Amino acid sequence: MNLVRSELLKIRTTSTWWIFGLITVPLWALAMAFNWLQTEALANGDFGEVSADQADQIDAVRDVANLAANIYTNGQFFGLLIVMLLGIVVVTSEFFHQTVTTTFLTAPHRTAVMMAKLIAAGVLALLFWLGTTLLNLAVGPLILNATDVGAHLGDGAVWRAVALNGLAYLLWSVLGVGLGVLIRSQIGATVTGILLYLGGAIGAAIAIGLLAAKFGDWINQLQLLVPSLASGLMVSGTDIPGNPPRWAGAAVLIGYAVVAGAIGVLTIRRRDIS
Amino acid sequence: MSDGQRSPSAGTGQIVVSGLTKQYKNVRAVDNLSFTVEPGRVTGFLGPNGAGKTTTLRMLLNLVTPTAGTATIGGRRYADLTDPLHSVGAVLEASSAHKGRTGINHLRVICAAAGLPRQRADEALALVGLTPAAKRKFKGYSLGMKQRLGIAAAMLGDPQVLILDEPANGLDPEGIRWMRGFLKGLATEGRTVLVSSHLLSEMQLLADDVVIIAAGRLVRQGPVDQVIGSMAHGGRVRVRTPQADELVAALREQSATVDADGHGALVVTGVDAPTVGRVALAAKVELHELTTERPDLEGVFLELTAGKAEIR
Repeated sequence: MNLVRSELLKIRTTSTWWIFGLITVPLWALAMAFNWLQTEALANGDFGEVSADQADQIDAVRDVANLAANIYTNGQFFGLLIVMLLGIVVVTSEFFHQTVTTTFLTAPHRTAVMMAKLIAAGVLALLFWLGTTLLNLAVGPLILNATDVGAHLGDGAVWRAVALNGLAYLLWSVLGVGLGVLIRSQIGATVTGILLYLGGAIGAAIAIGLLAAKFGDWINQLQLLVPSLASGLMVSGTDIPGNPPRWAGAAVLIGYAVVAGAIGVLTIRRRDIS
Repeated sequence: MSDGQRSPSAGTGQIVVSGLTKQYKNVRAVDNLSFTVEPGRVTGFLGPNGAGKTTTLRMLLNLVTPTAGTATIGGRRYADLTDPLHSVGAVLEASSAHKGRTGINHLRVICAAAGLPRQRADEALALVGLTPAAKRKFKGYSLGMKQRLGIAAAMLGDPQVLILDEPANGLDPEGIRWMRGFLKGLATEGRTVLVSSHLLSEMQLLADDVVIIAAGRLVRQGPVDQVIGSMAHGGRVRVRTPQADELVAALREQSATVDADGHGALVVTGVDAPTVGRVALAAKVELHELTTERPDLEGVFLELTAGKAEIR
């Protein structure tokens, strides 16, 4: 418990957290503007002639609960990236500033230190989630009412999506901590993290889309294995036909987080600090 | 805090290094090293660059895993100490704080992790005279202030044992004098103080005991005077006289060895200064200088580590 307090104090006494917080706000606003346009298009748009399969998918996406859930989890795309980077910084800044020596002198039990770091990064991630969600709950109903979808604040599917969104924030911060241990260099880990996240999301989505067109729909199931797509799947407001179920996305992401955390802890236990 | 409140895990505070070895890929940084460090004394840990001093200290502190051997503090390995900051304070790198964090917050972070009360941070800062810079960020600190902050961090838990790696690096003469008084004071209180350094003149002023290593191996250990006295040329006498030939003849009768030093003086070994004076008086030789040359730590160190300091 002392170690967690110490880790939270480390975060609080440097400027990283509020700089990242400041970056998050305009990104959130940008995402909200985009989602507003998308919601409007989906709620009122006419999609013309489409195949039966696509019609099913579009209907699922157009489902009002899904549209509302999408708005209430707004900011997720960049938010997850930010909390992963914070997780990275929690570890790599110790190597960058050589404070890791003092940290392990104060607490020679390295497993306990790493657990404290995971918890502290998780707490920070949940705070980011909480802040974003409060903003969404304040602005979301205005947009949903304006687009005739309705606020849907009484809808279970909406709250499930918001909760799963929180889980995603938590898991990405854990992934960040694990990555930070594996790649001690602050710049190296940050670049790798961003590439993994953005490249993973966009690159893999394109690749899977192309492969699915060539080899059939079963390829779509593979998107489960890409962390960023798995988390996207996990927080999609409702199950979409043709995509893997949401719980599978959650399971995969939890798996990645557990593996990353475990590798991080085991690696740091053996490493010589010199 | 009084001695009575000190954690029993530090025990007597004696440091015992036994058969300690660290093998890196191609280099045996520390090779079967054994020595002890006693409480109540300042022990200088000396060696040429790359001798394995830092690696040894890091193995002692559980930061580096030894290939073989053990290092204990008060009979326990560092990792087994129940309350490490209360037992051992260590200063390893001057620059080991987050650059964007203030000095006081650096100490508060450590206090939180060790379960120490917050005001210990203020007390430790006052102890090293850094209170005016408490709220300044670490990146604005001078090298000397960074060293002081490191010492403050080491003193947070009021430890029985102090371990410092090159603490005089970057200190100005005033800072070095402060550090000398501070460390001597801690030893007087009965604490164990182990200081690594390659500043030999400083060590001669500071240390009671020395442990000299080279190429990862122990070269000599003991009280400073003994180590210096153990060298063959202990007690050289320098003499200046206008009647050199007569004095040389008289001294050789006393089976002393006499050499010219090339600057007009004679260097006498085998007899002490009073004997030289008595011989000169008996031979009615006029003396202009008569001094005993104590070999200093630097001379002894260079002699002991000669040829062992090569890059490995």
